[in-house]
Amino acid sequence: MTKFSPPWSALIIGAILLIYPMVFSGAFYLDIGTTFLLAAISASAWNIVGGYAGQVSVGHSVFYGFGAYCPLLVFQLFGWPPLAGIPIGIGVSIVVAILIGLPTFRLTGHYFSMATIAVAELIRIFTGTWDLVGAAIGLQGPAVARGWWDLTFRGELPYYYIFLGVLAVLLVITAMMERRRFGYYLRAIKTRERAAQSLGVPVLHTKIKALVLSAVFTSIAGSLYSLKTGFIDPESGFGILISVQMVIIAALGGAGTLYGPLLGAAILIPLQTATNTWFGGGGSGLTYILYGGIIVIIARFEPGGLLDLWDRLAPRKWRRSRAA
Amino acid sequence: MLLLQVIVGGLLLGAIYALFSSGLTLIWGMMNFINFAHGEFVMLGMYAALLVVVYIGGGPAAFGFGAAMALFILGVVIYAGLIKHVMRGPMLSQILSTFGLALLLRYTAFWIFSANFVSLPQTSLSGTLNIGGILLPVAQLVAGILAIAFTIGLHLLLTRTTVGSKLLAVSEDRNAAMLMGIRPDRMQALAWGLSGCAAGIAGALLATAYPWSPSVGETFGLTAFVVVALGGFGSVPGALYAGLIIGLIQAVSAYWFGPIYKDIVVYGLFVALLWLRPQGLMGKA
Amino acid sequence: MLLEAKNVSKAFGSFRAVAGADLSVESGEIIGLIGPNGAGKSTFFNCIAGDMPVTTGTIVFDGHDLTRSAPEAHALAGIGRTFQVPATFEDMTVLDNVMVGAFLRHPHRNDARDHARQILDLTGLAPLANNWARTLGTPGRKRLEIARVLATTPRLMLLDESLAGLTPTELIEAIALVRKIHETGVTIVIVEHIMEVIMTLTKRVLVFNQGHVIASGKPEDVVKDEGVIEAYLGRGKHTKRG
Repeated sequence: MTKFSPPWSALIIGAILLIYPMVFSGAFYLDIGTTFLLAAISASAWNIVGGYAGQVSVGHSVFYGFGAYCPLLVFQLFGWPPLAGIPIGIGVSIVVAILIGLPTFRLTGHYFSMATIAVAELIRIFTGTWDLVGAAIGLQGPAVARGWWDLTFRGELPYYYIFLGVLAVLLVITAMMERRRFGYYLRAIKTRERAAQSLGVPVLHTKIKALVLSAVFTSIAGSLYSLKTGFIDPESGFGILISVQMVIIAALGGAGTLYGPLLGAAILIPLQTATNTWFGGGGSGLTYILYGGIIVIIARFEPGGLLDLWDRLAPRKWRRSRAA
Repeated sequence: MLLLQVIVGGLLLGAIYALFSSGLTLIWGMMNFINFAHGEFVMLGMYAALLVVVYIGGGPAAFGFGAAMALFILGVVIYAGLIKHVMRGPMLSQILSTFGLALLLRYTAFWIFSANFVSLPQTSLSGTLNIGGILLPVAQLVAGILAIAFTIGLHLLLTRTTVGSKLLAVSEDRNAAMLMGIRPDRMQALAWGLSGCAAGIAGALLATAYPWSPSVGETFGLTAFVVVALGGFGSVPGALYAGLIIGLIQAVSAYWFGPIYKDIVVYGLFVALLWLRPQGLMGKA
Repeated sequence: MLLEAKNVSKAFGSFRAVAGADLSVESGEIIGLIGPNGAGKSTFFNCIAGDMPVTTGTIVFDGHDLTRSAPEAHALAGIGRTFQVPATFEDMTVLDNVMVGAFLRHPHRNDARDHARQILDLTGLAPLANNWARTLGTPGRKRLEIARVLATTPRLMLLDESLAGLTPTELIEAIALVRKIHETGVTIVIVEHIMEVIMTLTKRVLVFNQGHVIASGKPEDVVKDEGVIEAYLGRGKHTKRG
């Protein structure tokens, strides 16, 4: 079977997401929609290195932050369209990914995780001290569009479809990766690294590739965020809660699966919006208590997330089929 | 002269870093497991001390003991309820278990105690000494010295007592230890208790000398990682030297570059360590 | 000379698991490696496969010096190995497991899958292709490991007790499989405790004890060697065997 025949699930999900803004119109629903898409993109990006390769990054916000800062930075410093900053964000993220991965991927997994959080915090604090990048105050984007290329839209609808497009591209790339040698090698490394090595899997090289790919899309997600909101500061770019959100969304839905991050986002983003409105200002604290609790429960009882739970409980014919 | 004061102050704080970091390195060396919530353990130790003082009364011995016990119990409970089950599982489980726990503990503390900075009411340890022109708050001096004592105590416990040798046996070779009649499960639970205890005592010591809020857990946690990486996987003496060194570096960085930069230097040191000498000063590679 | 391991030592701290071991293997041979437990055989295999860096010694394979190379390089050069405790990819299907091996020489998925299916046929695992590896019992896992490493098209296979724990029928099948693999031109070094395997399959046997080779020769000669008997029994030099 060499032709690519799109599975029904992809078409259905795609259709739902396409018509969502027409069914649920209005600023409130649109906002949830774009937030959902952005969360799905970030979590799916994290998923490549954290879910598929099993290298658990808890500081992925470092890539998100660079992606978010660069567009606004080139605008503030040079007056360029923020779009031009996106490749720069990607470039920086790739360099940082290699700097983190190269020394730590040779060591046990914990070193990598510790390194990700240390680097993320380091960059966050440093950004808060550097006036050139806005220090603690942050940066702003174009208040008024100077042309279409500034991507400053008044409504949210254009953002929604741009985000949807990026998500689609990311998922297609992930699906393709799953089926090819790279995907098999990632799964082998995640399951039993030593055995994978004995079969000739170039472990270090493969892990770095996964991290770089993940960093690129996380950076893009950050860029999309700052393009849309027109504002970034150290906390909203490099904050630990950005990292937490990526991890919990992917892990809840199912780390290492294609649709896991979507499922996780579909559950958590509305939930987060609800708790924030119910509890008001203090709500965000409660939200993170909840997140912490959910993460612990996932780790303890269901590391494969909800999709894995489904596989175990659902009647045979409803189970997902595996690639191969 | 001011530099000397900064150096001494840094070493004293570094001694406390050494104490709580030895708890972290004990677990790591024994079970190849990193507790991402260790900083929160220290933070809870500080609040435990506060609660003892406020609700039960009593001096340093009382709240020190209270914090130590509370965290010992927490350590054992966390092991039995969570760690034991994720230890042999996928890396995702292992990392997320204590990472999630850290969030849970941190934000629950924010919820209960609010984000305001607090400190212990004045105790007998207030006041400042003047030793040869260096001004040293008594509380910091006592805390630092006690921290060194407790760290050495932990090291002696591990190397000179029967219990300690059992712990080390499990960390060397779990199966061999089982064959010798040692119960690894119990020893691991004990290790978690001791780790918590070290964090609790360190917290109580910190509480006497420095103000805090729930946010300190995150910084202490990362500091512990750096200390353990510098000192070497599993080495308590290593943690002692590394803690002092990190305290020193941090204080001098704050003095030379400004207080905002102190954490940047420490975290930067961590990254450099990973590149240049991941096994640290005294650890096995 | 396909493989030339000279004066290999591996020390863990002060404990020398392997102490000055030599192994020379010509292309096409099938060699047995026997010795008491703890003699260092698996560690020696780990060194040859590049899984552990040697403390001293050299490992030259097919003219390439692999002493300082990573395990991946050893596999690429043509050395394949199984593990004493089977290390299959539990969360992947039998077919996927073998495909991971196949991808080494067949980077494209369809080629890899075809090659993997051929290997499954050869090893008799074809009916189990879509089963999860974790549903296999130990004999199945051992066979899967053999299939998986075979898919990397090795020139030398190091089998670490891959035939242990099998029923008599399974053992006959497994011996036949190893023979079949050998006949396709793969050189084999096999660590085993089961004498039947050593006697029927191998032409040359090396005896390992305390980290190095203490005897070598034809299987029927080696088992009568007094030094070998003493190594296994740990006593009495004067036992004569007929």
